[in-house]
Amino acid sequence: MASTSSSTAVDERERKRKRTSGGESPAAGAEAQPSKWQTRREHEIYSSKLFEALRLVRAGSPASSTTTPARSRLVREAADRALAVAARGRSRWSRAILASRRRRLQAAHRARLRAPTVPPSRHPSAAGTSAAPGKASKTPALARKAKVLGRLVPGCHKLPFPALLSEASDYIAALEMQVRAMTALAEVLSSVSSSASASASGSSSSSPPPA
Amino acid sequence: MSSRSRSSRGAISEEEINELISKLQSLLPNARRRGSSQASTTKLLKETCSYIKSLHREVDDLSDRLSDLMSTMDHNSPGAEIIRSILRS
Repeated sequence: MASTSSSTAVDERERKRKRTSGGESPAAGAEAQPSKWQTRREHEIYSSKLFEALRLVRAGSPASSTTTPARSRLVREAADRALAVAARGRSRWSRAILASRRRRLQAAHRARLRAPTVPPSRHPSAAGTSAAPGKASKTPALARKAKVLGRLVPGCHKLPFPALLSEASDYIAALEMQVRAMTALAEVLSSVSSSASASASGSSSSSPPPA
Repeated sequence: MSSRSRSSRGAISEEEINELISKLQSLLPNARRRGSSQASTTKLLKETCSYIKSLHREVDDLSDRLSDLMSTMDHNSPGAEIIRSILRS
């Protein structure tokens, strides 16, 4: 049994190495690779982070005090935060998710300490080029779509076109992993809770204990 | 500090943009069905936007589901252990 688990671990490492182009695991400063969101390892890392975040949400808000929509918003924010952390700071959208939350918490904290003043201004983006220098003839339709896309990906509304495309690719791959992980977690939770209620009511469980 | 100093090689080449576009296109769910690499950029951006929106909606639905399940999870600490071990495997 030990040999199979170690060979699976080696397998996973091989798969991960094959997926990340360039052989070596991504060094600091390397671009975010969309393919890394498909490795089993990332999925596991995210799932445990998500589970811990959910436990914190549950502990912080007892079921009676928060309404269902508010709780699911908390869950969504925790899931997004966990996703951003899993990106390990290598993509702009992940940094934007974490930064915006910190800003909101700081603003709320400051508002509690003294009279509300002007909220801290965003750090001025010196570039401000919304039209890409590359695509010379950018029709208005394309520019409109690019703006919509920039609004959808967090923190990317002022990026030039090529950077926006690469951020969007990474974001899509990360979102897909988020959906996979949350779905799996929901399946596990629903099966655990249903089996727990079944055993609690005294009926025999479906799976007999291993002899 | 010119904004163009980001691309030290000069203007970003059309080729790099096309590469990014095809990478994005391969991520979209339609990639396998379409088979052609000639989708216009506008259409591609539109599909990307709607795909991201649908992913956001899925995450919202899953958050609803998880928040419902969490309340039932409350009285179930052995369940938490099971979940952790499943996640680890």
